[in-house]
Amino acid sequence: MVRKKNLLAVGIACFITVFSMCRKAQPFNDTGYDSRLSGGQATVFDASSKAFTHMIAGLVGTDLNAHERGDVAFEQTFVSAPAPVFGGLGPVFNNVSCISCHHNDGKGTPTAGTVTSSLLLRITNGLTDEHGGPAGVDGYGGQVQDVALFGIQPEAHWDIVYAEVPVTYPDGSTASLRKPTYNMQNAYKAISGGYFISPRLAPPVFGLGLLENIPEGTIASFADEADKDGDGIRGHVNYVYNPQTKQTEIGRFGLKANTPTIMVQVATAYQQDMGVTSMVRPQEASWGQAQCAGISGDNYDLPDSTLRAVAFYVKTLAVPARRDVEDAEVKRGEALFTQINCSGCHRTTVQTGMDVNVPALSNQRIHPYTDLLVHDMGDGLADGYTDFLANGREWRTTPLWGIGLFEKTNGTPYYLHDGRARSIEEAILWHGGEATNTKNKFMQLNKTDRNAVIRFLRSL
Amino acid sequence: MKRILYTTMAVAVLFAACNKKKDTTPGTEVPFTEMEQTVLNDFTNKVAISGYSDLKNKADALYTTLNTLNTSTTDDNLNAARAAWKDLRTTWEQCEGFLFGPVEDNDYDPNMDTWPTDYHQMDSLLASGNGLTQSDIQAATLSLRGFHPVEYIIFGVGGSRTAAEITARQKQYMISLAADVQNTCHALYDSWAGAGNFAQKVTTAGNGSDKYAHKQEVYLAMIGAMTDICGEVGEGKMKEPFGTSVATADSNIVESPYSGNSTLDFKNNIIGLKNVYMGIGDGKGLCYLVASKNKDLDNRIQNQINTAIAAFDNITLPYGQAIYTQRTQVQHTMDALEALKGTLEGDLTTFAKQYITD
Repeated sequence: MVRKKNLLAVGIACFITVFSMCRKAQPFNDTGYDSRLSGGQATVFDASSKAFTHMIAGLVGTDLNAHERGDVAFEQTFVSAPAPVFGGLGPVFNNVSCISCHHNDGKGTPTAGTVTSSLLLRITNGLTDEHGGPAGVDGYGGQVQDVALFGIQPEAHWDIVYAEVPVTYPDGSTASLRKPTYNMQNAYKAISGGYFISPRLAPPVFGLGLLENIPEGTIASFADEADKDGDGIRGHVNYVYNPQTKQTEIGRFGLKANTPTIMVQVATAYQQDMGVTSMVRPQEASWGQAQCAGISGDNYDLPDSTLRAVAFYVKTLAVPARRDVEDAEVKRGEALFTQINCSGCHRTTVQTGMDVNVPALSNQRIHPYTDLLVHDMGDGLADGYTDFLANGREWRTTPLWGIGLFEKTNGTPYYLHDGRARSIEEAILWHGGEATNTKNKFMQLNKTDRNAVIRFLRSL
Repeated sequence: MKRILYTTMAVAVLFAACNKKKDTTPGTEVPFTEMEQTVLNDFTNKVAISGYSDLKNKADALYTTLNTLNTSTTDDNLNAARAAWKDLRTTWEQCEGFLFGPVEDNDYDPNMDTWPTDYHQMDSLLASGNGLTQSDIQAATLSLRGFHPVEYIIFGVGGSRTAAEITARQKQYMISLAADVQNTCHALYDSWAGAGNFAQKVTTAGNGSDKYAHKQEVYLAMIGAMTDICGEVGEGKMKEPFGTSVATADSNIVESPYSGNSTLDFKNNIIGLKNVYMGIGDGKGLCYLVASKNKDLDNRIQNQINTAIAAFDNITLPYGQAIYTQRTQVQHTMDALEALKGTLEGDLTTFAKQYITD
């Protein structure tokens, strides 16, 4: 009888063991994670002005060389062709190097057309092109290049005017937002018909390798187009055209998630922002325009190896670690961030997929504070510019990692897609559309709690 | 006797260490936080402001010599202008040892030190009816501004320019270029010592500064800038033209090619780094702090800095030639810079995080 009991016990134990082995994989609980590691293994501990400029750990050999080459090329000023080296700038462009706009690999200054400017304006006639993207305007293409080589007329200049808009909190506190207006001046050619413009301030370029490595299914799973959970937040994926693969793919990069890969992002920036053509974007931005007369279309400007190196450099820039994570006010702000549902779009934690070539990007638990979806952000931020599936009110959820360091990396910090916000508080107050409920909840918090939310954001 | 000898040696070593600063000796017991403040004050006043003050004075001098060359275009005056240009470059390259603050926030660096020169646009500009005034230059793209177009005009390709060859348009251009550089250098100085008062943001770090809430932050900015310039010289300015073999070396991408000043530029960058670490004159640098806690580390950093600086002296040809015929010497210098950079971004950064906690 005793023996039978033992057998029964062993049987049950085996049964439990077998069933527990068959259990579906569950995420680990939070115990043991270091919440400072915003980029998982691809995190760097530096809160200085250079916080966004660091290589992820573990690169050796050709990878290390590629990153270093890309670093040099990222900072390289281009000149007009013919030139012994770094030729191909223009004939019309927005700036002369990557770093000119992406100051310290971060954001820049919301001015247009000067050597220190980081703002550009896209333009469309409101129709779609053969790939479903925004059709350009005759004589301008899809972007207004507001600088030109000597002797050539820029496409236009922009006069940016801000109007202050007062905001009053329920508790009587006040703030002031500045609403920009962009007036096209000195256009080299009259535009016939209507058009829409979309201002874009250069965003930070770190952590992109991690974002590129988030599985498509993960991003799609965040979408809630029918708002089934009733929280007012919908969000959807932007599917866009990839000129390299000639296919429609999920959009991840750009302020409307209009770009599928880092490679396309880099190549498009070289082409559109600098007039430097490459294997991925072999045609001059001004092709077919008068300014382009005399430029040979036979060869592109950028060596393939340089394009690859810059793309790899951007892919392998580490994410800065959080600061003050144990501070009571920061923890309070973090809780409120979730409680008022900022995290409904600014997803706190995401798991990256496999990358056998770069372990630091592979299978990482990261805190990007984005869902990479596009959301209706309301009238206040609407630009009327449709970009593939993102309509004129929709913007991609901005990753918030590193946002607390903009004062360091940028001198004077600017926020939002066009740099209109001068502080994190202003950026929050501009939220509308799907974020209206959350913005209102933020405004209903008392000042101490509002400060706690901002303090939390400054810890990112 | 041995004991006395050892004690004497130890005292001698301590006295010799770190610019012979008296109060690093035992017994004076200067609190570490006080030492931190001293280093910040001395860096600000004796390295940064002093450096930028020199810079603006030398930019003034370049402007003056170029005006003299303009009114009296002799080879003697050309040589004087070249000397003034090199003198200004020496100071600027040394100031690049601490590229943080307004110099990066306000884009002063690219406004005057963009490379390469844009021959094609420069020819177009000079051949045009453009007024070539200072405001015209300031409106031009970066590659038409700054040190290197001036260098191209007064040295020419291979340094072969004679005074008689400089055209009236080139003279007009160089005067406006020099005025533009002068303007940038003055603005840079003012950003620290004048209205911008960045000096105060540094010296009040951790004590009310709106830029640096903690002293550690500004120290990490200083160390980060040292690390960056080390990397920029070793992994960028030197390595890119050096290539992986004689066949892949490319003298076209050597900076300051007209004056043949490249190697000296590189060396001055590292001397600038040394100024931050060691301090200038009676000013105390980072070594004051390091030596007080970790003498081995201080010795290592000092040795690596000095080794790197000395290594440049073995490159005796202009850098555009050295990458083909003095590859061993160039490689040794890059190796020395790599070792130094490793220590700065490794042990020195760790040191700052461990000990500078306020």
